[in-house]
Amino acid sequence: MKHDKIYLILVGIVFAAFALVFDTFPRPRYSELEKRDLATFPSFTLDSLWSGDYAEAVGKWFSDSQPFRDDFMAFSMMVENWTVLRFGDDHVTYHASTEGLADFAEAEGMEAEEAIAEDDGRNPRGYVNKLTADEKAKVANAGIVIIGRDKNVRALMCYGGSAKAGTPYANVCNKYVQTFPGVNVYCMVVPSAAAFYMPEKVQKMSKDQSATIRNIYSHLDSAVHAVDVYTVLGEHAGGDIYLRTDHHWSPLGAYYAAWKFAEVAEVPFHNLDEPGYYQPDTVLRFVGSMYGYSKDISVKNAPEDFIYYKPVKAMYETTFVQYQVDEDYQVISVGRPHKEEFFKKFKDGSSLAYSTFMGGDTKLTQVRTDVANGRRLIILKDSYGNALPGYLFYSFEEIHVIDGRYFTHNMKDYVREHKITDILFANNIFQACGSRYRAYEFFLTMSEGCRENPSTAFFMNREKDTLEAKTDSMAQLRLDTLLQDKHSKQDVSDVKTDSTTNQRGESEQTGNVAVSADSVVVQ
Amino acid sequence: MVFSDLFFLFVFLPLFFGSYMLASYVDKKVLSSYKCRNTTLVVFSLLFYAWGEPVYVFLMLGLVLMNFYVGRVIDSDYAHRKLALNIGVILNVLALGVFKYASLTATTLTMLGIPMPDPRIALPIGISFYIFQSISYLIDVYKKESPAQRRFMDLLLYISMFPQLIAGPIVRYGTIAEEIHNRKVSVRDMADGAFRFIYGLGKKVIIANQMSIVAEQFLVGGFESCTTTGAWIGILAYSLQVYFDFSGYSDMAIGIGRCLGFHFNENFRHPYCCNSITDFWHRWHISLGSFFRDYVYIPLGGNRRHQWFNILATWFLTGFWHGASWNFACWGLYFGIILLFEKYTLMKNVGKPLPTPDRKGRPRYRKVMDFIPSPLLHLYAMGLVTLGRGLFYFTDFAQMKEFFVKAFGGAEELHSYVSITAITDHFWLWVAAILFCMPVREWCYGRLVRVAGEGSLVTRNTVFLSRTVLSVIIIVLSVALLIGETNNPFIYTRF
Repeated sequence: MKHDKIYLILVGIVFAAFALVFDTFPRPRYSELEKRDLATFPSFTLDSLWSGDYAEAVGKWFSDSQPFRDDFMAFSMMVENWTVLRFGDDHVTYHASTEGLADFAEAEGMEAEEAIAEDDGRNPRGYVNKLTADEKAKVANAGIVIIGRDKNVRALMCYGGSAKAGTPYANVCNKYVQTFPGVNVYCMVVPSAAAFYMPEKVQKMSKDQSATIRNIYSHLDSAVHAVDVYTVLGEHAGGDIYLRTDHHWSPLGAYYAAWKFAEVAEVPFHNLDEPGYYQPDTVLRFVGSMYGYSKDISVKNAPEDFIYYKPVKAMYETTFVQYQVDEDYQVISVGRPHKEEFFKKFKDGSSLAYSTFMGGDTKLTQVRTDVANGRRLIILKDSYGNALPGYLFYSFEEIHVIDGRYFTHNMKDYVREHKITDILFANNIFQACGSRYRAYEFFLTMSEGCRENPSTAFFMNREKDTLEAKTDSMAQLRLDTLLQDKHSKQDVSDVKTDSTTNQRGESEQTGNVAVSADSVVVQ
Repeated sequence: MVFSDLFFLFVFLPLFFGSYMLASYVDKKVLSSYKCRNTTLVVFSLLFYAWGEPVYVFLMLGLVLMNFYVGRVIDSDYAHRKLALNIGVILNVLALGVFKYASLTATTLTMLGIPMPDPRIALPIGISFYIFQSISYLIDVYKKESPAQRRFMDLLLYISMFPQLIAGPIVRYGTIAEEIHNRKVSVRDMADGAFRFIYGLGKKVIIANQMSIVAEQFLVGGFESCTTTGAWIGILAYSLQVYFDFSGYSDMAIGIGRCLGFHFNENFRHPYCCNSITDFWHRWHISLGSFFRDYVYIPLGGNRRHQWFNILATWFLTGFWHGASWNFACWGLYFGIILLFEKYTLMKNVGKPLPTPDRKGRPRYRKVMDFIPSPLLHLYAMGLVTLGRGLFYFTDFAQMKEFFVKAFGGAEELHSYVSITAITDHFWLWVAAILFCMPVREWCYGRLVRVAGEGSLVTRNTVFLSRTVLSVIIIVLSVALLIGETNNPFIYTRF
């Protein structure tokens, strides 16, 4: 009797403590660990009440924005870590992707062309692509592999794209070279760390990236300059060219890519080891995005030094046009141009160190240097491309850094107005195989000041009735990534073969299964 | 709303228990009845249901009303009682048919050549459970096992009680009819109920949800790169997930019920320790099995007439109840056939009757299966159960076929690194899951009693300490894991 009372009191105290914290403490709005905004309390409408969305959103808000969220998550990750059985020094942990399958943008029904055999930078390792059109596009984010131990842990995002992926990216490059005669167009596809660091025994978990890159380059117009960074990165893979705890390359990796680009573009360039031209700066104890993606505590326990290089002998001025975006990545307002430092300084231990370059992605950056050679460059980039410009301040008179998601000008006008002589497409392999190309294409024809962006606008086309399960907005985002290629296939009048329909149907179905997979409780 | 949800645990439950205790006080001191308490329970139950189904809550209310009137008619109008029963049961089944099976009917008919538009009716939560409860109520009233409930609110209480509304167990009216107006809750009841609830929560959040991650890894999506080991690991993980998920929910339901003074029957008795399929179904989802036995199998004739047909029909329906898809019916039939097979093989009586008859005075015999070593039987039973899970999981027959092909040698590789990491990366989870399939608590308690004596101070203190420590660990872990669940892994648009 007495024991039962004490038991109830103790358990009651624990419960009440949690209830007190969860019900009364202020709630966070942003998760440092996951690098995303947390759910907010939904606004009340009668419609949402009747449909059940309001109740669901309240529940989601309550669970998502818990006080001490990041601490709890770190704790649960620690516990999950305890369940791992480790043996051997070369232990590899695998975190499966819980996303649904994604179709990659690729031309259906087309035979893969034979790659050009000469060494013109399009043929890393001299492989010739002979695959047939039946090969299906596969999951992009095929999970995360954690290798190494203790302080040397490296997190690798597995690549699941096929050797036929990315053709539309090449087509966009071709379109640019046709639209801008007289402008040099360059195509760079940056591989991810998985291309170089996968241990042999798990090689199969990530597909061959060089095959995809080769495929993209083989579809390039002969007037487009392919920049083969795969080989040069491979040659330097022994160094710290990729961040261990983040999905990005390191500034050193970007240096090699910039070096290669400068070679292809035939512009002056200064090497890192030339005395006096570059000064390194460091953010210590950096833990990047892979911690949140993998939810593995061993990534957090292996911080790294984020070393970046500033071109100290270059005289340059950086102008930013800041974009404000909403939670759907749509631009909602455009700031006035203002001058600021190109390199932002972050404190030691900050997990935002990669935003050293320009402070992030949601802006248009224009750098004017004292190099008076008449060469003006646009870099059409994703976040990988952020690390490139800093090495090109000795090479170009002007560098315009444009993120594929955030740009509100008509590209033709912009190129003409700024007398652009070179356009570099610098994207990592995931983006090159995704739908980013649609944005680049859209820039050519969109009206000046237009704030829409097809690589995010398709998220807006939510097909709610194909979803049986009620999903939260982030899962919606996930599914829309699946569905947007369905849309893209419908809009762009490609040849629709049976395999396309099957893929679409399959991806929809598995998308549903992936999202609605929940408790098995029978209803 | 579901039990394994932070909002339920830390908003709904505290509010409910607070209100209930207040109502309890009012009841005892002022009204000396159960009115306040029962009203509170009904109100909160309706809120609980309406939270997930703001529109369909009215459907449920309407059906309860219908059942209420039919029950009254059965009791009062002797001449028309059979008719009333039939109408009531038919209406219930019709409601279930429309809201659950209309889509399947339409698509099947279309497939067979009769084009029918798919009505795409959303499935109301818990409808399978509360309709079956209603049917059992009507039949029990008809058979005079309980008098019909004279107050609508009380019938509503029975059917909509939130502990068992969404996911069972399927509580028979007779089980709790008395307790609606007569229940005592001792401190022991509350402690046991609370522990049961926490234990169930742990099963669901710590084991089932984590196992589902492993299962999803192998069973969702295409099987092109699936290895043989991968397929089996996937289906084993799923079997564990299903058990801990479902039995965890039942535990939580029984726990809360106990705290309120209601005693539900057990729904699971360590089913994965079975040694035959017959045994399995006496241990798994007991409330469902007994429902179908009492309300379908026996009325059809039981083992007196065309037993084979009765068994197959009952199991076809049992399977079908689980979901509106043909694979579930196949799954049911699969077990029906095996059960039939076992009746004529494993369960066959051997030799002369044993000296002691059973509780009902009937002679007992040894059975064929008594001569087969237990581990072998266990392997046989669990093998069949696991294969059955393959039938259960895939609603799409093409995928199911692919899965079975891979599982039985059609894969390119026997195993891959992914399948090995699926075990090593969650090793202690697997150990815990397999361990807790077995009656470890009973074993531990048995050992303790043997060493320290029943009721001794050592025994009581050990039990108290272990319960408390386990409860706190489960609560803390579950909260952390539940928070982590709203994490959404990388979305590569943010590159």
